[in-house]
Amino acid sequence: MSASLAPECNEVKEKYDTCFLKWYSEKYIRGNSSTDECEPLFKQYKACLTKALREKGVDTMLNEAREGTVETDAEHLRR
Amino acid sequence: MRIFSSSYTFDYSWEEVSTNNWRKYCPWNDKASHVLAVDTLSRHVDPETGILRTERLITCKQNAPQWVLNILGGDTTSHVYEVSYVDPAAKKVTMCSTNMTWSNLLECRETVVYQPSSQDANGKTDFKQAAKIVALCGGWQKIRSKIEEVSVERFRENAARGREGFETVLEMSRRAFGEEREKINMGQPATI
Repeated sequence: MSASLAPECNEVKEKYDTCFLKWYSEKYIRGNSSTDECEPLFKQYKACLTKALREKGVDTMLNEAREGTVETDAEHLRR
Repeated sequence: MRIFSSSYTFDYSWEEVSTNNWRKYCPWNDKASHVLAVDTLSRHVDPETGILRTERLITCKQNAPQWVLNILGGDTTSHVYEVSYVDPAAKKVTMCSTNMTWSNLLECRETVVYQPSSQDANGKTDFKQAAKIVALCGGWQKIRSKIEEVSVERFRENAARGREGFETVLEMSRRAFGEEREKINMGQPATI
């Protein structure tokens, strides 16, 4: 799996990624689960990552990039 | 504005492609050394449609030409923001990405779609990629045009490398999975 941009988050990221991939391949795409079972691990990873993004100043750049998702959500988040 | 598009068919099922797509930039991919990190920012399943929406931040080693770095003052890393949608019922993965670095100067929006192949829906996957590149800087049309031209060229090179790298990941994954299955069949513990 790939690394995190914040090395201190690598350990929890690895655990989360492994959990996600297993859930995705074994349940989600087979139509056996509609809730993300790895949410608790994601919360831990996210807490670590959010802090790092703020420190690196990436969070403000992200907010700008997110503006474009209104269009893509409208197009791809429905049937 | 320049448009770049390409298509390709992977000799793997949609399930394999869409799963391995999440680890496209793992160490198995020897063509992606410019990708330093891939972080998931958010992820949830839409309760109405069942579509999985994921936001990721991709951190790359800067690969702009030296003359561009000289003019703009080069940071050593660049960031890409990606939002993706997986529709498991329709078997469709759509990934939309945009550059965060130098976004006031150059806008590069890419859309990638993976769907079961129209020729062999169970064994093959069609890949479609389209990118729109627009230089936003004021001033000479000639410079804008040059920046766009260089960017499209980089995009083309990266697209080819990306495909090659992903092929390796798919192959390694199938091999590892096969070996694991053999071990389990022989009563040995799995290691991955």
